[in-house]
Amino acid sequence: MSGLLIHLRAAPTLLRIGFAEMVAYRAEVAVWILTATLPLVMLALWSAAADGGTLGSFSQDDFVRYFAVILVVRQVTSAWLVWELNYNVRTGALSPMLLRPLNPLWWNLAETVGALPLRIIVLSPILAVLIWWKPQIALLPSAATFFLGCVSVFLAFVLAWLVQAVFGMLAFWYEQSVGLYNLWFVAVALLGGYVIPMDLLPSSIVPLARVLPFHSALGAPVEVWLDATPDPCRTLALQAVWVAVTATAAWFMWGRGLRRYGAVGA
Amino acid sequence: MPSRVALWPLAVIDVRQLSKTYRVPIKEPGLSGSLRGLFVRRYRDVHAVADVSFKIEQGERVGFLGPNGAGKTTTLKMLSGLLHPTSGDISVLGFTPKERKNDFLRQITLVMGQKQQLLWDIPARETFELNRAMYDLDRADYRRTLDELVEMLRLSDILDKPVRNLSLGERMKCELTAAVLHRPRVLFLDEPTIGLDVEMQLEVRRFIADLNNRFGATVLLTSHYMQDIAALTSRILIIDHGRLCYDGSREELAQRIAPERRVIVRQHVPALLALGFVEDHGRMVTTAAVDQVNMLLEEVMRRAPSAEIGVEEVPLDEMMTRYFRSRGERRDPS
Amino acid sequence: MRELRLIAALARVALMNAAQYRASFLVDLVTGAVSTVGIVLPLALVYNHTERIAGWSFHESLLVTGFFLLLQGAVGLAVEPNLSAIVEGVRSGALDYLVLKPVDAQLVASMQRIAPAKIWHLLAGVGVVLWGLSALPSPSLVASLTAVVLFVVGLFATYALWVLVICTSFWFVKVDNLSYLLVAVVDAGRWPVTVYKGWVRLFLTVVIPVAMVTSYPALALLGRLGPWLAVQGVVVAIVLLVISRVAWLLALSRYTSASS
Repeated sequence: MSGLLIHLRAAPTLLRIGFAEMVAYRAEVAVWILTATLPLVMLALWSAAADGGTLGSFSQDDFVRYFAVILVVRQVTSAWLVWELNYNVRTGALSPMLLRPLNPLWWNLAETVGALPLRIIVLSPILAVLIWWKPQIALLPSAATFFLGCVSVFLAFVLAWLVQAVFGMLAFWYEQSVGLYNLWFVAVALLGGYVIPMDLLPSSIVPLARVLPFHSALGAPVEVWLDATPDPCRTLALQAVWVAVTATAAWFMWGRGLRRYGAVGA
Repeated sequence: MPSRVALWPLAVIDVRQLSKTYRVPIKEPGLSGSLRGLFVRRYRDVHAVADVSFKIEQGERVGFLGPNGAGKTTTLKMLSGLLHPTSGDISVLGFTPKERKNDFLRQITLVMGQKQQLLWDIPARETFELNRAMYDLDRADYRRTLDELVEMLRLSDILDKPVRNLSLGERMKCELTAAVLHRPRVLFLDEPTIGLDVEMQLEVRRFIADLNNRFGATVLLTSHYMQDIAALTSRILIIDHGRLCYDGSREELAQRIAPERRVIVRQHVPALLALGFVEDHGRMVTTAAVDQVNMLLEEVMRRAPSAEIGVEEVPLDEMMTRYFRSRGERRDPS
Repeated sequence: MRELRLIAALARVALMNAAQYRASFLVDLVTGAVSTVGIVLPLALVYNHTERIAGWSFHESLLVTGFFLLLQGAVGLAVEPNLSAIVEGVRSGALDYLVLKPVDAQLVASMQRIAPAKIWHLLAGVGVVLWGLSALPSPSLVASLTAVVLFVVGLFATYALWVLVICTSFWFVKVDNLSYLLVAVVDAGRWPVTVYKGWVRLFLTVVIPVAMVTSYPALALLGRLGPWLAVQGVVVAIVLLVISRVAWLLALSRYTSASS
């Protein structure tokens, strides 16, 4: 229990340093953030496909709104943990980190949260341009939607981070674990709403896609924000379930992985 | 281009009033300081090399000495054409180095002990082949040179191992080989023995001397290891805070800062204590001014007729320590 | 002649270097397949809802996407590994040795590394182009040749862009990241350029002319590329190459006049 206390007491300092670190690396971080242009590229394709009319239930404005929110949610639920863990495990850089009484994952979480303000700042000009282009996409959410949306984004953030932890920890057993994470991300893109809104997926796979973790990690909060989900509470509950599942997996793998890491003597 | 009157013999390296000044932004402390630094930057000038002039003749071996950050590496980089001087003239083999003409580059080489040109993952032989192509060397000449170098450095066993599997010393030998395959007439060596063990240092030293003898190459060398300089060079340039403060032979330097000799008697002779000798590992040691040495020796031989006696110069590193200490005292009278 | 011998020597070393890591072939086969699916499947999903997008049918768009995969493969195979090696060389100072060789530093620096495992991306690109063509009238010989020439010219233009980006690393040592940004912009080339409107299209045609590498060869195969567009492509590539050469020389003189 005292271990947990140490982590909680350290949290404010870690957050502050995490933020300062991101400010120091602002140029690089900004570049990384700006590289996630896929939503805009997809928006161009969907807009051209709608060609001024509608496609399924989506008008062109709906597409702009959808991909604008995707852009934001994708950014605020991003992390670098999978690359960092993979690198640290492969090179042995993890070893000195394990000598501190603080779990290195906790520090990474602080860094990830510390990057959030920067992410928002870098995104704002892009959002401003989108709103300037289509002022009608800016809608004020109701109080309930706002609240549920925030919870959903938070759950997606935790889920995405935990998933990265799981794939990053695979490096204990398999050096190319980053490649596996890319597989996950392709699944999120196709089935989680990143490149295609759920409602426009072939109707036969929509029910299945809605319960898979890919949707919980990205598409779900977007739909909650846009008030486009049939049952927001069910969506949140499903997200919570996936968070619990991945957290358990991460917990389990961390213990096993460290034992293996110690045995190999890295 | 105005043609200069050629003086005979033309110096291989001719440096006149060479200076290099860097403008370095001043880092202000704290977050507010670094934020301010994003908009308004203040600079200060760092004079890495200031008003340095010297000449080096064909076939000379010259040691370049000075504390860290004195400007040795900067000077070598300017001599090889990697850095542009802020002011002053350099002529190396009649070329202006910063133009980096191909005919110039073919005749020089720069070895940096802390940087590597060998390709990491493949055998050194392949880097040599690549250099052959880059310098457009005749295949037969290349073979001959390589064979010669392999024999001089005893490389035959390591030539075909991936470079990453070589020891530091083996790697350095291959680096040197890669650097001289094109038989450069001028060798700039920046800390070529850094980090090597004593045996390997000896080998590298012997190799450099050999190169100078066989190919008649001119050598300009910096090193932290005084033994390198002492063994390889007869002429010394000392640079401190960017300024050249000594240029001459080692003997002259010795006369200037350490005009005494060390007299060593290789056995324990208590009678010598009266002459000012002290005991050191079973030997008797003292120092004496040059003009006193003969008198002292006669006295020693009278008291210990059978003793083996040696007279030595003060070691170079001790000379350097004294030299910089005396300069420091002059600059800072406290 | 001398340059050719040098290029042969460089290619040999690059291949030997690459052979050290042959295990990554399999990994790259998988990532190549995954990224191909990640690019082609969204296209298919959108076409699930409509017949034509911006005047292009599904199979016509596949040609563009195929050329895009080829571009990705070629850049990954021969361009990106070299340019990241240059950035690394600036950082570690290893570039010093290259600058002191009596050869053109840009030529050598651009040819030292190769990543053969990216061959899978090239094969995927060829496959997707053939898939597109399978449902289209077969192109004439002239059309095919034009497409190939335009694609190769476009590759040179892309190389020039990368050099431009890399040159910035001589000033700001930490901007190797900037090349990711270029990758992100080039990503827009996966769809036919008419999908984009207004200044975005102009940007993708002239400034970062990725349309030239992907859309133009596809149009050529379809017999829809006007001759002046082909000429425009070549002109843009030459201009970019010249600019990048000047930038490289500037960057190199900056490297040698300011570094320590």
